[in-house]
Amino acid sequence: MALTRSLLKILAATACSTILITPLMAADPIKIGVPVGLSGANSVVAPSVVQSAQLAVDEINAKGGVLGRQLSLEVADDASGAAGAQKAFDSLVFQKKVDVLISMETSAARNAGLPIVARGKVPYIYTSFYEGKSCSPFMYVNAWVPEQQVPPIVDYFTKEKGAKKFFLIGSDYAFGRGMLAFTKAYIAKTGGKVVGEEYLPMDGSDWTPIISKLKSAAPDALITSTAGGAPNVTLTKQLRAAGVTLPYGNLAVDEGTAKSMGSDAKDIYLSASYVTGIDSAANKTFLAAMKKKFGGDLKTPNDLSVPEYEAIYAYKAAVEKAGSTNSSKVLKVLGEVSVEGPRGKIQMSKQHHAPLTMYLGQVQADGSVKVIKSFPNTDPGAQCPNLKS
Amino acid sequence: MVTLVLDVVTTAAILFIVSAGLLIVFGVMKIINFAHAAFITVGAYAALVASRLGLPSVLAPALAFVIGGLIGAAAERVVVQWLYSRPLDAILATWGLSIVIGQLVTLAFGRGVQFVPAPISGTESILGEEYSMYRLLMVAAATVIAILFTCVLNGTRLGLSTRAVIMNETLAQSLGIDSSRVRLVTFGLGCGLAAIAGALITPLASVDPNMGLAWLISAFMLVMISGGSLLTLGLSSLVLGGLQVVVSTFVSPILGGLTIAVVAAVALRLRPEGFARA
Repeated sequence: MALTRSLLKILAATACSTILITPLMAADPIKIGVPVGLSGANSVVAPSVVQSAQLAVDEINAKGGVLGRQLSLEVADDASGAAGAQKAFDSLVFQKKVDVLISMETSAARNAGLPIVARGKVPYIYTSFYEGKSCSPFMYVNAWVPEQQVPPIVDYFTKEKGAKKFFLIGSDYAFGRGMLAFTKAYIAKTGGKVVGEEYLPMDGSDWTPIISKLKSAAPDALITSTAGGAPNVTLTKQLRAAGVTLPYGNLAVDEGTAKSMGSDAKDIYLSASYVTGIDSAANKTFLAAMKKKFGGDLKTPNDLSVPEYEAIYAYKAAVEKAGSTNSSKVLKVLGEVSVEGPRGKIQMSKQHHAPLTMYLGQVQADGSVKVIKSFPNTDPGAQCPNLKS
Repeated sequence: MVTLVLDVVTTAAILFIVSAGLLIVFGVMKIINFAHAAFITVGAYAALVASRLGLPSVLAPALAFVIGGLIGAAAERVVVQWLYSRPLDAILATWGLSIVIGQLVTLAFGRGVQFVPAPISGTESILGEEYSMYRLLMVAAATVIAILFTCVLNGTRLGLSTRAVIMNETLAQSLGIDSSRVRLVTFGLGCGLAAIAGALITPLASVDPNMGLAWLISAFMLVMISGGSLLTLGLSSLVLGGLQVVVSTFVSPILGGLTIAVVAAVALRLRPEGFARA
């Protein structure tokens, strides 16, 4: 009796699930994997990235999807580091069998994930600005590299502020040193002089000796590249407390951080491919759609979350052009399609990287960022000479 | 040169403020409170709450002291009081406590960097050098803390009992001193002092759940080397903090960050009991 009953139950359950599954089978969704640092160093910015991915997917699905198929998101936490990224990429590529990976990550996480991407042969659109020169036939990048971010600030200081002597301060890690090494070379190339270059370990919190050196070196301008978050805030606060008022370009500050620093951030110059103040119809529509979808939970869109939104549209365009989600076909056309997004028209046409419009912004007294100048079509330079297109 | 001297003095003052709470706990109970960093963080968030409530910024350290002291006293009753005879376990337990406090702070305020406006800003001209006013204020704050605690230890009944417990606990107990109460109060005071430090450094630091950690190693080394006296703590802050500034200025700030730990390790090798005469 008991046996019959459980058999019946199983049969009923199977019948139900068959009925539920059948209609979905017809249009199997296209799966987009988003490995992102929901915990760890990136956890402050990751929610905004997930939000803009959700908006892109919803918009595309509402208009009938891609090639008649709906999009679905698979978000996985990579813990902002290499070990977590291996797990996240592995489960997305081999268990969830995603069709594409689109996300911003730390450089450590990206480097750990790339071999898994190569093994699974999935297209991967990397949407974070980074130190440059990371090349894989499976990876495309739609965010900036040093060649695009540094020149606007240095050029502006040299030409508009008459700066000749520069002082550089950074956090002692790959990104901080890499950015400043490029900055130093660029300053030398444009005829300026670096009168000091100082680093503090990432967990250091007392910048006093460096600030004293800065004052005695008497430069015309200051450029900093610290780790985001705490080191950036401590340095800026201590600079202001020490009465430093010279032109101050910060390669690591974003709008959100600037806003939370209040009056201390005033007059900082920053260079980015996205600021919320971009005066274009596409950006205004995007911001309005974000506000409508997330309301009070909205995380301010930023230079890491907007490329995610655009990359999903770039993938859509590539799939439509290729006529399928077949990995090698999509990879072939990803560099040929262009997207009109909040940051303008973007095509990953330069050795898997994208020429971008860069904006030089200055933080205002109320924490908002005013665009001072834009630099259209800034070239990423030769990032991956061995990759064609 | 003026700048260098000011850098040394103000750095020493900040190190002294940050280490004082750890010293009080270590001096009386001979255990290392590894949750010290967490209490610094608690103090900083207390200052954040104070500024959000619109309290005058003079009250921020007071609020921090009360909150840090109460949480510290509670922690002493629940966790620490069972571990006085097991100093190594106490290190582990207080480290665990710091993780718990850090996560609670994260739950309440989020992981991001918070901002507390500085009560005073700008610079003061000293012998022709413009110098950060707030850092100069830290020297005054360190002096006040040193005087207050010397008075408490030497001029009150509690201080007398505390010193008795430090010198000979069994004898003190046999004279009717409730040593467990002395410890409760001392641990609370130490944690409260850590919280004051947190509130005081917020205008120079970022407020985030891990902010205290950056100070823990320096504070720990300074307390070890000073061996339990407020006076030697002041001296070692001045000497080691001074070395840190000198190395940072003339060699490299990266090596400067190692100076305190390295010099302290060498000094303790030569003189394991520290430099206090007690």
